[in-house]
Amino acid sequence: MRILIAEDDSDTAEFIQRGLAELGHSLTVVASGSEAWLLLSTEPFDIAILDRMLPALDGVSIVRRLRAAEIHTPVLILTALGRINDRVEGLEAGADDYLVKPFAFSELAARVAALGRRKPIQSQPTRLEHRGIVLDLLKREVLRDGAPIALQPRELRLLEELMNEGGKIVTRTMLLERVWNYHFDPRTNIVETHISHLRSKLNEGGKPDAIETVRGVGYRMSARA
Amino acid sequence: MRNRQSSAAYRIAFTNFVAFAVGLALLGFVVFTVMHIAFMRQLDSMISDEAQTLVDEYRVGGSRELAEAISEREMVNSPTRMMYAIYAPNGQRVAGSLNSKRPALGVHDIEFVDSAGSHDSARGIAIDISSTERLLVADDLEWIERIDEVVIGVFAIAFLAACGMAFGGALILGGYLRRRLQTISRSAESIIGGEIGTRVPIGNASDEFDQVATTLNRMLDRIEGLLANLRQVSSDLAHDLRTPLARLRNSLERGLTENEDRNHAAAVVEDAIQRVDEVLSLFAAILRIAEVESGETRQLFKPVDLSELARDLVESYAPAIEENGRTLISSIEPQLIVLGDRELLAQAAINLLENAQQHTAVGTLIKLTGTAVGDRIHLEVMDNGPGIPAEDIGRVVKRFARLDRSRSTAGYGLGLSLVDAIAKLHGGDLRLKDLAPGLSATIDLPAGRQPS
Repeated sequence: MRILIAEDDSDTAEFIQRGLAELGHSLTVVASGSEAWLLLSTEPFDIAILDRMLPALDGVSIVRRLRAAEIHTPVLILTALGRINDRVEGLEAGADDYLVKPFAFSELAARVAALGRRKPIQSQPTRLEHRGIVLDLLKREVLRDGAPIALQPRELRLLEELMNEGGKIVTRTMLLERVWNYHFDPRTNIVETHISHLRSKLNEGGKPDAIETVRGVGYRMSARA
Repeated sequence: MRNRQSSAAYRIAFTNFVAFAVGLALLGFVVFTVMHIAFMRQLDSMISDEAQTLVDEYRVGGSRELAEAISEREMVNSPTRMMYAIYAPNGQRVAGSLNSKRPALGVHDIEFVDSAGSHDSARGIAIDISSTERLLVADDLEWIERIDEVVIGVFAIAFLAACGMAFGGALILGGYLRRRLQTISRSAESIIGGEIGTRVPIGNASDEFDQVATTLNRMLDRIEGLLANLRQVSSDLAHDLRTPLARLRNSLERGLTENEDRNHAAAVVEDAIQRVDEVLSLFAAILRIAEVESGETRQLFKPVDLSELARDLVESYAPAIEENGRTLISSIEPQLIVLGDRELLAQAAINLLENAQQHTAVGTLIKLTGTAVGDRIHLEVMDNGPGIPAEDIGRVVKRFARLDRSRSTAGYGLGLSLVDAIAKLHGGDLRLKDLAPGLSATIDLPAGRQPS
């Protein structure tokens, strides 16, 4: 994917650039908001990663301008400010995701991958399928190899998020944000507990593990199942 | 004193003094004028009476009797002696010794020439006693003038004496005000100079100055308390940071000396990252509390259905708590609406739930209840664990407060501080109660409006 990074701290910029380049993305790095705006408004990018505070033009203002100009490049805002007001402002301006520094690279990578797969709203599927597991989003039903599986609403939401990413990693933080709408880290690992319940229901009858745990990062639909 | 002019205390005192002097002078002037007018009226009535007596004499005895009566009166040598004259129509004085021109009828001031030949003025009344004779009775103003002089003299002395006393009073008052104010400013100087413990001396008059001093002292106590708290928090923070950083340093050093094995090196780095994450989460917790305490999140407040939030929490946490060997039960009334931030309220409740399972033994029963009490909403987490001794209850809400027995468990003692800050942000508070055994933690919030 073609990704623009606007980050004025050269260490952070290099950290992101090297990591994403290893994953095979093509990167353009700029250090000021005005350069970022110029590039984003004239060239096609798949994803823009913008720092919240940039010289000349800050990240949130760039998003506002992009959306006003009908440019819908997915935007991930990076910020050292973890404040609630700032996050709300960023998302209201039209950013697609918001990540607070410092972050683990795996977290950024998973979010970039998710943004890259983001589909336009009108083509949202009503049915997700992954190696024998079928999730009907309208009927809220799950079948594995044709047999229905009864899930709690929360487990269904978790499965939906995992299947939506089509076998790519979904981090624990992403699940907390999307399923629980929590932007903080509870000490109790509720994600782990609910995933383990989901997993045991999906795997009932000695079926191969449907969910793979990526240690220290998150979960994904298992490729082997 | 060199800066008396710039002293507000003296300015106030002297303004008072000037106002007093002007008032006194005005009073003197009014009294003098009223008195003078009264005397003049009295004089008028005296000469009218005298003229009437002479007219009566004339009626009885004619012109001769009148002339006799006049000369008799003129013979008497008294300070109240009046002056008389009778005029013919041609202006000729026919009787009496008052040397004046023939006057018009009525009461008015007249000019005359006295025995020494000098001009003087007097108050006179002229009456026609017959078609050919006009009687003039006059009294010079000498005695009134003398009284006036005496009165003015006495008043001037009294005025000067009063002003002198008032001036002295102003000096004393100014000095007093300044002294009282200087006590306060000396205390402030001493505090600026580093003597934080200095307080403004309080007199025993309990007047305004003492009240101000008391208020200032209370303010200083509060500031000192905050400073002490800040010092405590900084040193606790440094202490709590040192532990994970020291561990980090140790594992990095071990990694450096025992790095023959690649797997081992990876484990060391992983361990180091975990330690750094601990430090970062400590900072995140401190920043979150500061953010909540700043109150800026209030702009984003919306009606939040606490009933739904609590049911959600129970659904999410019951399995996790079950896995940890404790039981979560709940009793939540429907339609508990508060105005607030959904996520912060969830975080507060989660912190209470996590505390309840972290500081209790396996097998503990934890209960989450949501009730409406009048116009308040209570979200309560109860457990039947060891509880908190009553003497420690006030302490545990403070930042970095940890009871000795929980020193060994994870966490930085910030959980309850955050709950307390969130409750306060929402116009409520956090109440802890020892249930002996067990602990009850209640978030008491004002009920918000019902969603329409």
